[in-house]
Amino acid sequence: MKYGLQFRDVFAAWEFLLDGLALTLLLSVATMILGFFLGLACACAKTYGGTRFKQGVTVYVEAIRNTPLLVQIFLLYFGLPSLGLRLEGFDAALIALVINLGAYSTEIIRAGLESIPKSQIEAGQSLGLTPWQIFRYIIVFPALKAMYPALSSQFILLMLATSVVSQISVQDLFHVGSIIQSRTFRDFEVYTVIGGVYLAIAFMMRGVFTLIYRQVFAR
Amino acid sequence: MIREFGTGDVVYLVFAARWTLALTALAFTGGACVGLLLAVMRISSFTAMRLLASCYIQIVQGTPLLVWLFLFYFGLSIAGLPVNAWTAAALAYSIYGGAFLGEIWRGALIAVAPTQWEAGASLGLTYLQQMRYIIMPQAVRIAIPPTIGFLVQLIKNTSLAATIGFVELTREGQLTSASTYKPFAVYITVAIIYFLICFPLTQWSRKLEERFNVTR
Amino acid sequence: MSRVELINVSKHYGHLQVLDNVSMTVEAGEVIAIIGRSGSGKSTLLRCLNGLEPIQAGEILIDGVKVNDPDTDLRSLRQNVGIVFQSFNLFPHLSVSDNITLAPRLVLKQSPDQARRLAADVLARVGLADKIDSMPSQLSGGQQQRVAIARSLAMNPQLMLFDEVTSALDPELTGEVLRVLEGVAREGMTMILVTHEMGFARHFATRIVFMHEGKVWEQGPVAKVLSHPQTAELKSFLDAVLN
Repeated sequence: MKYGLQFRDVFAAWEFLLDGLALTLLLSVATMILGFFLGLACACAKTYGGTRFKQGVTVYVEAIRNTPLLVQIFLLYFGLPSLGLRLEGFDAALIALVINLGAYSTEIIRAGLESIPKSQIEAGQSLGLTPWQIFRYIIVFPALKAMYPALSSQFILLMLATSVVSQISVQDLFHVGSIIQSRTFRDFEVYTVIGGVYLAIAFMMRGVFTLIYRQVFAR
Repeated sequence: MIREFGTGDVVYLVFAARWTLALTALAFTGGACVGLLLAVMRISSFTAMRLLASCYIQIVQGTPLLVWLFLFYFGLSIAGLPVNAWTAAALAYSIYGGAFLGEIWRGALIAVAPTQWEAGASLGLTYLQQMRYIIMPQAVRIAIPPTIGFLVQLIKNTSLAATIGFVELTREGQLTSASTYKPFAVYITVAIIYFLICFPLTQWSRKLEERFNVTR
Repeated sequence: MSRVELINVSKHYGHLQVLDNVSMTVEAGEVIAIIGRSGSGKSTLLRCLNGLEPIQAGEILIDGVKVNDPDTDLRSLRQNVGIVFQSFNLFPHLSVSDNITLAPRLVLKQSPDQARRLAADVLARVGLADKIDSMPSQLSGGQQQRVAIARSLAMNPQLMLFDEVTSALDPELTGEVLRVLEGVAREGMTMILVTHEMGFARHFATRIVFMHEGKVWEQGPVAKVLSHPQTAELKSFLDAVLN
């Protein structure tokens, strides 16, 4: 049976695709920022905090990293209402994604912080600097440089993972694809285009991250 | 008809996990074949091979898994090819897993010191012999911890098969949740089951990594 | 009041006795060279002096201030005690100027201009005035170590500790560092150096301390100790080192 590939119907809906793309990007950027700070807080708690903090962060990180993102989203979106808390699709998605990224970021950031040799910290101490001054002037910059590659890879993975929010009817790029598919029945073309858009975004993100690295870290 | 969420459901969910594991096994097998091929292509001296493998990996790693699942399940159906959830999932996960395993295994291959290749060549061994007797054994040891780590990723990723109606743990969770109206309890149970499968593997991978670093 | 006083100082790591009842006094302006085999406790002794390592028994006093007292403000103590490490420990992401001005700005609350003038001044003293805006990675080992010394000098300490500062350098680079140390000694700084450089010790140290198995085994004026070692251990150490 002959199947004619026909992309016209898909491209005709370009404005709709753009809306979906905008939401995907919004969700991704918001998650990256919030997820990073959550990860930073947890990483500091684990590296510099007391036993209780260490254990708490470990429980959080292991729980998230050993369960699927889809289940985490379902828990927040479908599970919480039965406990009395009803969240909007976008809100549930954002919270779930931030919690998820936070867990993965914690490990990456922690590795970066711990990569600073003890001798650097001793040099700072011997000069009479306070712990906060040592963190701010001696640890932060080299740690960011060390964690940058792993963190930027994780961010790109996150952007791709946001496609999962389509399953709770958030109108992201993937969900828009499903809707276009239901109207045009051009499944193959639709998902090829959607895939292509994600790929383009991923490439652009990599490019931007490399640029930032060169500007900030490679002197 | 709403029924209560009881131990019967919990047991049912636990058994649903066997489909998760079955799909994981299938995905890993498929992915391993693709991955091995890609890894070898990536270290080949033929530029065309390297480029081809590289392109494949870039493309697959730059697209969401959902796209591949939907492409193979819905896309191929509409094109007239008979595709059920198992086939689509097997294809999608093999393509997806192959890219990541390919990267991991390539990393392991190049982690074996170039001097090992030279030593083998100086002894008069062919490329295949060097691979089989000298390089592979060492590369396999290096590759095991991250491969187990990826296995955990794969187990979690099988949850997405639920979106194309494949009945594994997560889909079973959706169905149970719909008939018991207790989504929180259901999904917590589902999460715990995933955790009980994944956590030991994660720990094992870490232990192996430590042991490997010590002996290295 | 002596600059440094160690009274019956002991320290152990688990079952290993690193410092065994060490007592010593250092007066202002003295240059002490501490020598001994690896594992004799000499580097540990130095690191205890500015509180980088804790002690389990005894007292360490610097200008009358107890280092091992939990109530002591180590940070203000450390403004008076400079330390230079074997591996320089410059901050790789900061320029030479930033490395040197960091502590004066943050701890001594100097203005950026003030601090930079200070940096230029100490760099001139170590002979590296033209490197003020270079990055550590652009400098040789000897230059980096001289910057490390300048960084400590910038805080105007009363006492300076040197932990095998030439050991990590290629032989042809040790000379420039030793010359800087001579200059610092001539200015009247109280210095305690853990070192293998017998030539430097012979010419500039006022006293030599030989450590063995965590104890002060022999000490005295440099010429006397080196030419007339009293103990067998020191004799065999000098034989091994000076040949």
